[in-house]
Amino acid sequence: MADYSVAELMTVCLAKEIRDGERVLQGLYSPMPMIACLLAKNFYAPNMVFINTADTIDPQPREVPFSTAGPALQENAVAYIPLYQTFDLAQQGKLDLIFLGAAQVDKYGNTNLSVIGPFESPKVRLPAGAASAHLCAIMDTVIWVPRHNARVLVEKVDFITGQGYLTGGDAREKAGIPKGGPRKVVTNLCIMDFEPESKAMRLVSTHPGVTIEEVKENTGFDLIIPEKVETTEPPTPQELEFIREIDPKKVRELEFH
Amino acid sequence: MEERLLSLQEAVSRYVHDGDVVAVGGVGRNRSPMALVREIVRQGKKDLHIVGREKGMDFDMLIGAGCVRKVSFALVSLEEFGLAMNFRRKAQAGDIELDEHACNSVITSIRAAAMGLPFLPVKGMFGSDVFRVSKSLTEITCPFTGERLAAVRAIKPDVTIIHAHQADKFGNVRIQGSPFEDALKARAADRTIVTVEEIIEHEEIRANPHLTTIPYIYVTAVVHVPQGAWPASCDGYYESDREHVQEYASSTKTPEGFQEYLEKYVYSGRS
Repeated sequence: MADYSVAELMTVCLAKEIRDGERVLQGLYSPMPMIACLLAKNFYAPNMVFINTADTIDPQPREVPFSTAGPALQENAVAYIPLYQTFDLAQQGKLDLIFLGAAQVDKYGNTNLSVIGPFESPKVRLPAGAASAHLCAIMDTVIWVPRHNARVLVEKVDFITGQGYLTGGDAREKAGIPKGGPRKVVTNLCIMDFEPESKAMRLVSTHPGVTIEEVKENTGFDLIIPEKVETTEPPTPQELEFIREIDPKKVRELEFH
Repeated sequence: MEERLLSLQEAVSRYVHDGDVVAVGGVGRNRSPMALVREIVRQGKKDLHIVGREKGMDFDMLIGAGCVRKVSFALVSLEEFGLAMNFRRKAQAGDIELDEHACNSVITSIRAAAMGLPFLPVKGMFGSDVFRVSKSLTEITCPFTGERLAAVRAIKPDVTIIHAHQADKFGNVRIQGSPFEDALKARAADRTIVTVEEIIEHEEIRANPHLTTIPYIYVTAVVHVPQGAWPASCDGYYESDREHVQEYASSTKTPEGFQEYLEKYVYSGRS
């Protein structure tokens, strides 16, 4: 048995997607991305800028809150920034990355948080996509999926809330949204990226103990399997110590209950 | 300056009318104007068009209680407590009109109203089905650069409801933590009702004008309601009451459960 949880592993994977110096926005109900931002700033990306739904810049909470817009995300921050000013930055090309959750993700990285079934008469009305339809069109995203299965990873989403690579290839350029797109998809089983030409999803690494077969069986489309598939690096004791210290109440596990 | 202190009952009966466009302050379960929401439910207001960015129990309760005709939103969720079930049921039954947005498009619709404009442009949106199905968004071309943009129709609130930290009796309001877009919502609306944790002396406002986040010229009524965001959080005063939100989430799994919840916590008179 590993001495870490899948939430801890995913949090570390998300943190490593942040490049030093990037300005990163963490949204509402984003427990793992919230912790990942704090981890990244302390470990691999000291110059990243952490902006969040509590409308603060670079907070240093002693303990992370359950609501990812909660008051603790104001502790030791340098300033408040109303979200619409963060969107102003995004429209100027000065926001680099957001983390995105989804009920469905398809092979081109389009995400659905709106409806299962038709929009006008849905089988399931979902919460909607928050910032997605705006930000996914103009900047980079990393998608996280706590439950990698064929109902979530689908051939085609019922409704495109957040734009991925649309129908693949140069579809974004044709739609008038040339900038940005999903970099990676981090799930409880693996990490995936997008093949540069077709823009179809491709396996990068499987998490320790997960087989390629398992990933394929749990994916609702033909995932590109490259010749070389790595094993995801497990969290280090230092990373685990940091995560457990700022998150004693296990907010990171909320999506796995 | 006129004194603007009212009771919760008076403020809502005077300034929230059936059919109004109501912008609601706060985000998720943080600084949500829950006392005002409960009073609107108690007074049985009807046909409201509620507007907000990322909303939770506040929207779900108004929808479940039958106060709402239309919802302009970018997210309605109880966060870790799951889907907002009243919202889900009424949306699936076609009982409410949904004006789905991205965060920035719904904020921009309020920003346009605050600027006295009929619309504003935003970037992005193309390629999303949110844009495709929306009646509030349409493509335009910049007359100067030729750039393709999405135009967002203004949403002018008749009334904005906010919970804040402090105000004087004239309605000079201090939001002391996360601003969200509450001040913008106040500036866009014809009327604004603010509940506050504390009423402070006018002299204190005069001594620290840089701390006034919503001046009296935008405020119609101030109501002194300590714990007025409960069970949402009010930064600097209290955290959100997760146990209660869990109870709300469980009770709203059925319409009957929600009715029992309303009897217990809303109609029984708790502010």
